[in-house]
Amino acid sequence: MKITSKLLLSTAAFMLAGALPADAAWQPQKPIEFVATAGPGGGTDNLARAVQSIITKYKLTDQPVVVVNKGGGSGAEGYVYGKASAGDPYKVIFGTSNAWQQPLVSKVAFNYTDLTPIAAMAQDEFLLWVKQDAPYKTASDFLKAAAATEFKMGGAQSKDTDEVLTRMIEKAAKVKFTYIPFKSGAEAAVQLAGGHIDAHVNNPSESLGQWRGSTQRPLCAFSPKRLPQGPKVTTSEGWSDVPTCVEQGLAISQYEQPRTVWLPGKVSPEQAAYYVDLMKKVQATPEWKEYIEKTSQVDTFLTGTAFDNFIKQDLEHVKQVAGEQGWLVK
Amino acid sequence: MISRRALEIAAAVLTGIFGVVVVVSSLDNGIGWSSAGVDAGTFPFLTGIIIVLGSLYNLGQGALGRGTLAIVRVAVTPSELRRLAGLFVPAAIFVAVIPMVGMYLASAAYVFAVLALPRRRSVLSALVIAAATPLALYVVFERMFHVSLPHGALAAAFGF
Amino acid sequence: MENLESLLHGFTIAVTVPHLTLMVIGVLLGILVGVLPGLGAPNGVSLLLPLTFGMQPVSAIILLSSMYWGALFGGSVTSILFNIPGEPSSVATTFDGYPMARDGRPTTALATAFGSAAFGALVGVILITFLASWVAQVALAFGPPEYFAVYFLAFASFVGMGGAAPIKTVVALAIGFAIAAIGIDTVSGSVRLTMGIDELVKGVSFVVAVMGLFGIGELLIAVEEEFSARAVSSRVDWKEVFRALGRLPHHGIALLRSAAIGCWMGITPGGPTAASFMSYGIAKRFSRNGARFGTGEAEGIVAPETADHAAGTSALLPMLSLGIPGSATAAVMMGGLMIWGLNPGPMLFVDQKDFVWGLIASMYVGNIVAVALVLLTVPVFAALMRIPFAVIAPLIVIICVVGAYSVSNSYLDVVLMLGFGVVGYLFKKLHYPLAPLVLAIVIGDKAEDAFRQAMLMSKGSLGIFFANRLVTTLVLAGIALLLLPLALQIVRLLRKPDVSAQEKVRII
Repeated sequence: MKITSKLLLSTAAFMLAGALPADAAWQPQKPIEFVATAGPGGGTDNLARAVQSIITKYKLTDQPVVVVNKGGGSGAEGYVYGKASAGDPYKVIFGTSNAWQQPLVSKVAFNYTDLTPIAAMAQDEFLLWVKQDAPYKTASDFLKAAAATEFKMGGAQSKDTDEVLTRMIEKAAKVKFTYIPFKSGAEAAVQLAGGHIDAHVNNPSESLGQWRGSTQRPLCAFSPKRLPQGPKVTTSEGWSDVPTCVEQGLAISQYEQPRTVWLPGKVSPEQAAYYVDLMKKVQATPEWKEYIEKTSQVDTFLTGTAFDNFIKQDLEHVKQVAGEQGWLVK
Repeated sequence: MISRRALEIAAAVLTGIFGVVVVVSSLDNGIGWSSAGVDAGTFPFLTGIIIVLGSLYNLGQGALGRGTLAIVRVAVTPSELRRLAGLFVPAAIFVAVIPMVGMYLASAAYVFAVLALPRRRSVLSALVIAAATPLALYVVFERMFHVSLPHGALAAAFGF
Repeated sequence: MENLESLLHGFTIAVTVPHLTLMVIGVLLGILVGVLPGLGAPNGVSLLLPLTFGMQPVSAIILLSSMYWGALFGGSVTSILFNIPGEPSSVATTFDGYPMARDGRPTTALATAFGSAAFGALVGVILITFLASWVAQVALAFGPPEYFAVYFLAFASFVGMGGAAPIKTVVALAIGFAIAAIGIDTVSGSVRLTMGIDELVKGVSFVVAVMGLFGIGELLIAVEEEFSARAVSSRVDWKEVFRALGRLPHHGIALLRSAAIGCWMGITPGGPTAASFMSYGIAKRFSRNGARFGTGEAEGIVAPETADHAAGTSALLPMLSLGIPGSATAAVMMGGLMIWGLNPGPMLFVDQKDFVWGLIASMYVGNIVAVALVLLTVPVFAALMRIPFAVIAPLIVIICVVGAYSVSNSYLDVVLMLGFGVVGYLFKKLHYPLAPLVLAIVIGDKAEDAFRQAMLMSKGSLGIFFANRLVTTLVLAGIALLLLPLALQIVRLLRKPDVSAQEKVRII
């Protein structure tokens, strides 16, 4: 059946060839499915929908693009689906670093090697947040207080990016936190506003409204240099006014969460190249810049070996933390 | 004919097996309640135990012919069973062939078979309903809401 | 009355010809996705979202929220006519709505449901208008122990009702909890109860379970009993629509009580599903006609519908003021807000006055538009009951199959749905109650998460459930509701030991 379908596809491509530029190696011939490994409204879902609307607006492909949410099991549902669709170039999976982190710490039925990496498109920053009326003015005040009592640190999901960062802070500052996992960063933000937890490490977009509304404020950013100057968030401060954690004596110079794009395994290099090119075109539009700015993310584009190296580095790092915490699945 | 006793026993055995599966697989997740919180397997384990115990009780009650429905002896008469099978068997076949022929073809064939074969409807009206169903599905799901229904291996072979 | 002024200003934004047109389009689309099980408001919202990027944020949100209202109303239609709840929050509507429709009164059932739903929504909007800042504060007071206490309260008010054998009820409830636990566990991040099926890591969707248990299960029962719906008169019966609406004030107490429960559960984390179950449970316990609940009592439709819509409406407030979406639809809307450059959160009410009050005003107008349109459709939907059973049965099977598939484009879900159908038939036949099972599937995992988060905070001590006034009150109220039926039973037994209730009760 495979052979027949290929044959028919190539015949179809041949018939259409007159209408296409000569160098077009592979073009989609049927609707493309964007699989968001998050529920509606989540960061990954927003990315998939932003890319979809840009593609539609600029007619970057003739085929319709449909977004499907497969966010069950902290995203595992979407990756497992991608694994099961091996060889199908019409399914594009949008995820985060949990594509390679999740298989380390829980018994999910996929690994990132089952998928074909396309690109990492944007990076979300992490900040350390406390309640507005908390007595600590700086990160070092906070860590001093944390050394005396065990603080409650909230975050999205368990053994995921938020908890990994929490454990890294514990180690760097020699303190101990009780980590409380919630469903999402937004939930953790509300719990902090209500005073049920002491801190969390949300992304900028997850707590932007809370900062503007003076219910919580960032102490430091886990970034090598200060975040880019944007419009002021509160009356007096913007993202660039938040010191880096290193400035504050917390030696974690960089921690970011990439938004990643994948194809199922066993697709041809031409098909992968088509989507790399498509994502590049998306990234060149003003709408993309606007999306990046509104969600306070960092624009990056990693593909090919650069992306592979990034994954390998991150994997080493997470393996180390997970190993120390005894999270690794046997 | 299926007696109520047999049905009660079957249901209790079914829930009991489910309970055992839940207990066994929750052991993998760890059971415990300490100052570090409650382990992932603890609550599933407890619910599994409750299901097993409850099923044993229901099994006993059913076998002894006691309980809420004690007066009812016969659960399903032969003619009722025929009608049940008449609905369920075609539905199960319909579901079974979806991966092969896809939702559209399967639903059309299913509607036609259920309406025309037992002569509930004239062949013509059955044909009309059988053709209208997948068409309506296509328009609403595939076109309006961009929800793609399974096209089946057959369609894939033809490059759709 | 600063709020009133803002509201009047909001009306000038909402009541314009283009906005009214958008409302009608939104509501009609919403009714369509609401009626079709498997498609829900999230499908419609995500479909419209790309179209709205070119609009003013306030126009866009009016379109999307009108669709939300339409979908809420539409969700009750299949519950009443075919016993297939399209949304978790309309399960409780099937308990009396479906028997009433089967009894030849689909028009009455639909009109009663829509009328009380509109009342609930109205109370919810009024609450938002006048108590917005207070509501936001209340929602902040809820941490994990309080969340758990709210879920416990919902269970306590519902469990123990119905005439089923107690052990069968316990087994059904426990099975529901186990099904809710399938998939990835939030608190530990580990995979639970997948029983060797990799795809189950996503969990078992509620829609898949109820479409099997209720839809297919009921179909099997109906075919076995050689059921044919009692002849519905072919005349379009407009008078009955108004008669049913006119009878609503007779249920005044139920309306007010259910609206209060709904608003409370909407602003606390309980949500519409817990609200409708709780409202039904309490109505059954306190109504004069409580014993006849489950056989097509109007009050059994009024209670869950009013609470569902009151909760669905007031749940939008925490979303706007705190940024926590109460439902999947709200989450998509919130995603939209962010793409339009608006950040939900405490500042929205200060920064974006036009937007917020335009939206709130549109809630009033949108609901009126929605109820008017939906009442117009009642005779059309009621006419569906006249289609012969032989034709409608395979169509219901197809609707359930397509619905189960479209939840997450998974064939496994279709097979599971059919399996749930057999279980639903078997359970119904042997008087295992389905409602506790469904309630446990819907809020079981949330209750468990909240409990275990609380245990992390308290280092394993149960004392956290009595740590402050709010949580203590909630827990004590739950315990009281749990013990009340038991106490009543004992009193009744002491008084007249010879009269046992031999009425035929519908097991729900």
